Amino acid sequence: MTERDLQPQTEYSEDGVDLSLIRWMLSLTPAERLQFLQRQVNAILAIRKLNAGQ
Amino acid sequence: MPDSDFLTALRALHEGGVEFAVVGGLAAVLNGAPVNTFDLDIVHARDETNVAKLLQVLDRLDAIYRMQPDRRLRPDASHLRSAGHHNLITTCGPLDVLGTIGRGLNYEDLLAHTVEMDTGGGVRVRVLSLAKIVALKEELAGEKDLAVLPILRRTLEQKQRG
Repeated sequence: MTERDLQPQTEYSEDGVDLSLIRWMLSLTPAERLQFLQRQVNAILAIRKLNAGQ
Repeated sequence: MPDSDFLTALRALHEGGVEFAVVGGLAAVLNGAPVNTFDLDIVHARDETNVAKLLQVLDRLDAIYRMQPDRRLRPDASHLRSAGHHNLITTCGPLDVLGTIGRGLNYEDLLAHTVEMDTGGGVRVRVLSLAKIVALKEELAGEKDLAVLPILRRTLEQKQRG
């Protein structure tokens, strides 16, 4: 294994956008994208509730 | 505040026969942009028939203006026939009902820039295209628009490459 093989495989645009994340999103159907967003929103709201009043 | 439930809100609008297009952050996500949003933004047709259908759905979703929730102000037909923005809270979470977006673009202006998508369970809705979302955000160039623009532009590029 060379040192190059150990480098993290990242791919960012010149303005710092993670292109691998975009490609992953584009591999999903619109319905799957909506489900993913819904899960994210639910998780964030659950964390907010757990920390309410702190 | 009720939790967001995008699909239930979209289903209610779809089954209510409302003519509308999804815009804003949710439209960006449905187009494949990895961004987050907590509200559903729609632009609706403002003719009398459609406003009546929309009001029925909003009533079913217990929609009230979210600025002063204690007053429980409900939108009425005259509100929804206007070009203004109606920031509501519903049983499915925040819902922004917009008469126009950008520099006064209404539902009919946007129609040619929408694509129909299946959002799950046969709920097919019109969604503003990513190219138009980018164009509108470039035109408005607000702080929030500029922050998300790089992600939207790169998503559009990747989409166009196929």
